[in-house]
Amino acid sequence: MSDDDKIRAEALNWTLRVGDPAFEDWEGFTHWLDANPAHARAYDTVAAAVADGAELIAAAAPANDDVEPAIVPASPRRRAWLGGAVAASLLLVGGLWVWQAGSRDLYRIETAPGQVRSVALDAQTRVDLAGGTAMEFDRKDPRFARLESGQALFTVRHDEARPFRVTVGEDTLVDVGTVFDVRHDGEDFSVAVSEGAVQFNPKAQDLRISPGEMLRRHGKAGDYTLGKIAPAQVGEWREGRVTFEDTALDSVAADLARATGVAYVVAPGSADRKVSGSLLVAPLREDPAALGPLLGVRVRADGKRWVIGTP
Amino acid sequence: MPPAPPSSSRSGLEATFLENRDKLLHFLRARGAGDAAEDLVQEVWLKISRSAPGPVAAPLSYLFRTADLLMIDRFRSTRQSGTRERDWTEAHVDEAGASPEPSAERRLSAAQEAGRVLSLLESLGPRVSAIFRRHRIDGIAQKQIAAELGVSLSTVESDLRVAYRALAQWKERSDEA
Repeated sequence: MSDDDKIRAEALNWTLRVGDPAFEDWEGFTHWLDANPAHARAYDTVAAAVADGAELIAAAAPANDDVEPAIVPASPRRRAWLGGAVAASLLLVGGLWVWQAGSRDLYRIETAPGQVRSVALDAQTRVDLAGGTAMEFDRKDPRFARLESGQALFTVRHDEARPFRVTVGEDTLVDVGTVFDVRHDGEDFSVAVSEGAVQFNPKAQDLRISPGEMLRRHGKAGDYTLGKIAPAQVGEWREGRVTFEDTALDSVAADLARATGVAYVVAPGSADRKVSGSLLVAPLREDPAALGPLLGVRVRADGKRWVIGTP
Repeated sequence: MPPAPPSSSRSGLEATFLENRDKLLHFLRARGAGDAAEDLVQEVWLKISRSAPGPVAAPLSYLFRTADLLMIDRFRSTRQSGTRERDWTEAHVDEAGASPEPSAERRLSAAQEAGRVLSLLESLGPRVSAIFRRHRIDGIAQKQIAAELGVSLSTVESDLRVAYRALAQWKERSDEA
């Protein structure tokens, strides 16, 4: 163990001891600090990290309802800790959750590439599925949808008492009176809002996405970035238009394949090349090669596929 | 009976402060306060007299704890002001002429950081996560948590050690980034 590691381990131990409200050995602590000026620095580093973490966690969200009860049984005092009412409500939440999960009556809707389909969940709530999209809905709960893969535009009647929820992988979106577009391609994820607002992962990040904002994540563990998007551009695919702004060619190919039903693929080595442009989908169905001059790329036929690459 | 001398009417806390002023000074120097140690002793006293905590069970510990937390806060705020300056510069480069109000980016990065710490803590297991919250957020002593959960004190300690180590590494990583 190097000296640094040793100091770090000692600093961690002191943080553990000093941080306890019952700690009294200030003399011993002072003694350790006296021994080496590096000790104070190491202690500050650990103590500050723990304080920062605790602050973020305290502010972020209460403990997950479904995690807490997992460790309950140890002793009857645990109940006193939670307080009767809280314990009861945790049970209730747990119960409801199980009941809901058990009683979901899901059905699946898929669209083929190039096909667009509209699903009305009630008189004022509609989900438009872009081509190449798979979704699940609940026969018993019209305020729920799951986007398995693809892209969908949600036009949702807001109901304070029963917010509309969309789950995408492990993420949850809750509407705050809304028109929003969600995409889930492989591991990539994005949500763009044109009206109202969407609450993203209320139990974790709890981030509000406002009109004209677009939240994106690249890859499963990637960072989220919040960018701007013209509200009119959100869901424009429904009118047969797609817009790319500095978009990598592999997503362009995937988007166009979905929108047109034409098998566009990206040429080897061109996946990361960025292009911009706004185009109508219908003409591409007639003439897939027309894409070339519109985006400044080279398009060539390869059997039934259309390969897009850098010129 | 003549009235008691003013010194005995002082609170136990004040008496303890006066008796242990030098020890406190020594502690603050050892804690890295350097030349500011004298000023900080003063600040400890102001903090204590302002917050007027009423009877304190262990006045000496209370003094030292106040001093220790003061030093941790100092460390955190110097470090944060460094970070803020960096963030501000980046934001300025990104969107020339944009207003300096907390941007969506800033909100997002705070939310993102919170999400990361949450999932980090949860990845350590439900017991570690529950013990950490109980101790650091609810402020419950380690011994009492052990009793509440029906586990040994050393289990509580080792769970906290796991959480602290993870948080120290998290901070190290985000400082490097």
